[in-house]
Amino acid sequence: MPEFMETTVDKFTFKVATDRYYSEQGIWALRTGKVIRIGLSDYLQQRSGDIAFADVQPAGTQLEAGGDVAEIETIKVDTTIASPVSGSIVTVNPKMELEPEVINQDPYGEGWLCEIEPMNWEADLEKLLEPKAYFIVMKKEAEEEAKNL
Amino acid sequence: MTGPKKVLIVPCSGIGKSYGTVSREAAYQVVEDDRPGQTRIVPLALLVMDDEETRQLLKENQAITIDGCKLACATKMVAESGGEVAKDFAVLDVFRRNRDFKPSGIAELNEGGKKLADALAKEIDTEVDNLIRKGGQDA
Repeated sequence: MPEFMETTVDKFTFKVATDRYYSEQGIWALRTGKVIRIGLSDYLQQRSGDIAFADVQPAGTQLEAGGDVAEIETIKVDTTIASPVSGSIVTVNPKMELEPEVINQDPYGEGWLCEIEPMNWEADLEKLLEPKAYFIVMKKEAEEEAKNL
Repeated sequence: MTGPKKVLIVPCSGIGKSYGTVSREAAYQVVEDDRPGQTRIVPLALLVMDDEETRQLLKENQAITIDGCKLACATKMVAESGGEVAKDFAVLDVFRRNRDFKPSGIAELNEGGKKLADALAKEIDTEVDNLIRKGGQDA
């Protein structure tokens, strides 16, 4: 179980897992053995709303860092998810097809999108944010959004 | 309150959100157009206000709830008010079965939203018919 930093903005509480890296979009990347598992941050999944569909690129797809890895569709928005790492998709979470709501229920655990065999992890890592840095970015974004409510 | 039993339709009261509007439009269609006389709409606000007459209605009739989001306020409020939820519908689940009908708009739904409300209403119609066939309600 990862540890979390959390903040409450307006009536919403957002958690950031401290054991992984993040893109500014709010996509996390966690190294597990030889692959990088990716998924949505708690803030991104809450901001997106209840997820109706998660279309992840199939296993074998070659990705550039920043390339489209998935489309998330909620009643509110359609969001294109950019891969935080370059490489090849080796596994797509089978729950994405029939139970995409698991992203909302457990964004840092069972709600992962896919696993990627990295092509250049060290270089990709330089462009990602450490948890504390992402926490600051996320909190600022959440506070800005709350002002517009 | 006495009179013939009806199936109560309790929609989400979410204001300012498309899925709340979808749930209410579907409820109106069932109660006013598809199954008038067999159904009655119950505003969620009356349950929140603990309205005695509405609580009594819930004790005497089965309810179908329509939830706009995972908070499931309609289902929770009926249960907390002592009512029996015969069937609960979630707009999101109906959207998953009808991906082409993507709703937007609040005061007025777009075409996708209207079609989604219609699809939801038809699912509710079927459930109303099932409840009446089981003999629990007098049409």
